[in-house]
Amino acid sequence: MVSTQLSILTISGSILIIATFSVVARRGFIDWLNAYRHQSIVLAGVTAIIGYITGIWEIYIAAALTLIVKSIIIPKVLTYVTRRLEIEFKIETNPYVSLRTSVIISALLVGLSYFLTQQIPFKSDPVVNVLLPVSMAQFFIGLFVLVNRRTVLSQVVGLLIIENGLFLFTMVLTHGVSLIIEVGIFVDILIGIVISSILLFRMGRTFDSLDVTNIENLRDD
Amino acid sequence: MYSMVEILVGIIQGLVIILLSPLITGIMRKTKARTQKRMGASVLQPYYDILKLIKKDEVISDQSSWIFRICPWVNFVALATAAFFIPLFLMYSPFGLAGDLLLVIGLFALARFFTMLASLDVASSFGGLGSSREMMYSALLEPALFLTIFIVALTYGGTNLSTLVTAVSGATLLPHPQLIFAAIAMFVLVLGETGRLPFDNPSTHLELTMVHEAMILEYSGKSLALIEWSQAIKLLILLVLVVNIFVPWGISSSITIPALGIGFVSLFAKISILAIFIAYFESSIAKWRLFRIPDLVAVAIASSMIGIILYYIK
Repeated sequence: MVSTQLSILTISGSILIIATFSVVARRGFIDWLNAYRHQSIVLAGVTAIIGYITGIWEIYIAAALTLIVKSIIIPKVLTYVTRRLEIEFKIETNPYVSLRTSVIISALLVGLSYFLTQQIPFKSDPVVNVLLPVSMAQFFIGLFVLVNRRTVLSQVVGLLIIENGLFLFTMVLTHGVSLIIEVGIFVDILIGIVISSILLFRMGRTFDSLDVTNIENLRDD
Repeated sequence: MYSMVEILVGIIQGLVIILLSPLITGIMRKTKARTQKRMGASVLQPYYDILKLIKKDEVISDQSSWIFRICPWVNFVALATAAFFIPLFLMYSPFGLAGDLLLVIGLFALARFFTMLASLDVASSFGGLGSSREMMYSALLEPALFLTIFIVALTYGGTNLSTLVTAVSGATLLPHPQLIFAAIAMFVLVLGETGRLPFDNPSTHLELTMVHEAMILEYSGKSLALIEWSQAIKLLILLVLVVNIFVPWGISSSITIPALGIGFVSLFAKISILAIFIAYFESSIAKWRLFRIPDLVAVAIASSMIGIILYYIK
């Protein structure tokens, strides 16, 4: 493999980590969506490069689908659904762990994922060496965002980041599952986003807030 | 050993930093004014300010001690000394054998320490407030700064600025992803070290927002001119460090007039672009609350931590 391609993959991996961090380090929903959009564009680029390296044409279709679904449709849907919400619903003001601690924790999670992937012997394939830790870092940070935050919107974003990480994971390790499953997964995400947006819309109406601790109460008192 | 010509070029490099620094401050002020739809003063205004202040008489409180009087001189001498260690348009500085990046940071800390002492010395309430905030900032910024320096030093082998810049200009940025993270951290650190906007507003005298201005509130005349000038030198040194460590292309490797000319022009262009970018960035954000500043520093620390992880694991 050409070293330029590898360098470009390394740089894109760094950009993916930076985009994931900007979800952790910022408070506003629009900032998260922008970070997710940039991340998805870079992810589509990485997918296309993997397609070029392996020479499997189906990966190009997966890259195009990533570009269309994740960087255009999902942000559009989420912006459309949340356009009527009050601004205080869209800002994470009170996470369980404070912003600066969660940034440091996420850096440690990146370290953890690099450490874990060192334990798996994949020395032969440079693509795996470069991108597998990135995908695991995305997965861990998405999980951390999901656990740490209180509002539904940030949990949706955490879920989307986890999904991006999983997509990169499968793409790197197996060079993409067969196209029909890929398309199925994309439709799944889309339906998931639509359902969760209906849910959060109803939740905002019923409780006048998007705090998930509200739906932990069984009785309405 | 270095030849006489090289030493001469080294002296010229230091003098250029000292003489050019008010111009960069002027460019940043002009850019900020234009983004706010004002005409703004000429880019040469900082020179006029310094010349005017030098001519004026000085008022010194009779409650103050010798610390208050020597602080501007310590500031200026420390930062002017630091200027001579920086490779500007030549790849190395002949004085680089005497001091490296850590010494430059140490000289910054010396200047900062004396400013804090002097502001406490006159015992005005503003001075105490400013120096306690400045102390908090420097305590927060120091670990991030050293982590960032470690990334650069580990990647290129050594903290000596001359070997550093020589190694950088021979390499491309692509195989070193940790440098991207170092650059992000360094950008935050430059904003913090020079007191730019999310940390400190350099252009107001509002009691709630000022940090550096609160410390130098008691100064007038020549002392104020020296402090303003040394602040400008510090800004230029940090910008030169960013440019020469992360984007050193065009820097001259030999002492010939055309190579040095190209080096100087490209350096000036890169520094102006960086200064204008920082001024735009400042216009697009507001001053942050004092206790939100650790969030930003945490980003710098996390970024440099990832950089170090990438260095060791790749």
